[in-house]
Amino acid sequence: MTSHADQVSVRSAVLPLRPAAGAWLIARKETGELLLSRRGLAWLLVVAVVLSAFALLLVSDTELGLLDNAQVVYDMVGIVIGVGALIGVVAGVDAVGGERERGSLVPLLLVPLPRGALLAGKLGGIAAAWAMTLVVALPYLWAVGSTGQNLGHAVAALIVLGTPVVLGFGAFALGLGARLRSVPAALNAALVVLLLSASPLVIGPGLRRTTIGAAFDAVNPFSAALNAVDAVVIDGERLAAHALAFCAVAVWALAAGWFAWAGMRRLAR
Amino acid sequence: MRVAALLIFTVLLLAMQAAAQASPLIVELMPASANPAHPRMGDRLMFRSTIRNPGADQAPGVIAWLSLVQVDPGNEKPVDLEDWSAQKALTLPALAPGQTVTTEWPIRLIQAGHYRVAVIATAAGIAEVGAPVASRFAGFAVAAKPVVESGRVLPIAIGVPLLLAAGLLWRVRGGRVR
Repeated sequence: MTSHADQVSVRSAVLPLRPAAGAWLIARKETGELLLSRRGLAWLLVVAVVLSAFALLLVSDTELGLLDNAQVVYDMVGIVIGVGALIGVVAGVDAVGGERERGSLVPLLLVPLPRGALLAGKLGGIAAAWAMTLVVALPYLWAVGSTGQNLGHAVAALIVLGTPVVLGFGAFALGLGARLRSVPAALNAALVVLLLSASPLVIGPGLRRTTIGAAFDAVNPFSAALNAVDAVVIDGERLAAHALAFCAVAVWALAAGWFAWAGMRRLAR
Repeated sequence: MRVAALLIFTVLLLAMQAAAQASPLIVELMPASANPAHPRMGDRLMFRSTIRNPGADQAPGVIAWLSLVQVDPGNEKPVDLEDWSAQKALTLPALAPGQTVTTEWPIRLIQAGHYRVAVIATAAGIAEVGAPVASRFAGFAVAAKPVVESGRVLPIAIGVPLLLAAGLLWRVRGGRVR
């Protein structure tokens, strides 16, 4: 099996790669590995099974009479962001840590590309995985959003707010994978952070109204995204009215991107 | 003569007390004309209230609040407005003589049933504790609607994983294996 570092280096030997072209090449290769391989189809299947199980639970839940349809759509959006972030974490750790374990990291680093282009290519693969997760999730959102109430706004909020959250977790995991020598250690650390951040999905709003809960919400990008989705989907507010939440998740994505970039730079030393 | 004067004084005193205890407000509640005729769960209704001070004195510290009750036989109860309405109360520092305040009360319909809604108001700044004033009830019925339709969910919940499993199987058996 030819590693993608080998393929990139073969091409670069023939054609001098510009950073953007190199990043595009790596992103395409990552996307192909994530989406067209057996492994890629397997995780898409897992995503579909998780969403199916949740949708079937909603159908069988007789206690939903007190909620309106928007609440169900909000729950589904939260699950999709959570699953997307989980995939981002696994793909992020594998982007460097996996290459190291497979012995293809050194050849990849020898490719005459700036570290930023390598990082952009790897993040491009994670973005493609998130895009595919969104494609799989759309039919489920349509299915549970039976009334169409705020469904379009829910999809818009999922894309606008979910994308920085997911890419942020992917970049954060990539940074951990670059820093820690062990893939299990990097994966465990990233999953613990994700679990903590995604706790608003399971913790009731009552607990989050406490001082500690409010402080946690203020620094948690997951909370920022979920609170804005709640306001847009359930309360029918305009997405544009939640620019602050978008800023919060964008800051998270940028900080995680910087963390990943710094980790990639350390690889050269 | 003394008896007559005492009688007149007593009557005047009682009349003044009655005037002081009576709330100086008039409250009316009307459903908005744009409300759906046959609302279902998930729909929104709008009610419009007017609170008027017909008296000659200012009504200080006016509080008005929404009250919703379910009136289905065997299930009569007051309804917690937590999920139903974000606009639950109105406070005003004072209502001048002859002044009228109009307020809109949006309601999101959470559960099926028959309901009655009213707005209750009081002038809390008056020294004597009198009875609050309530509008007439406005009634409405909410038709049930399945929150999640199994007819839409089941084909997706079963079909999407099957489609992906078929793709995976094709990839393992016949397609390019990476």
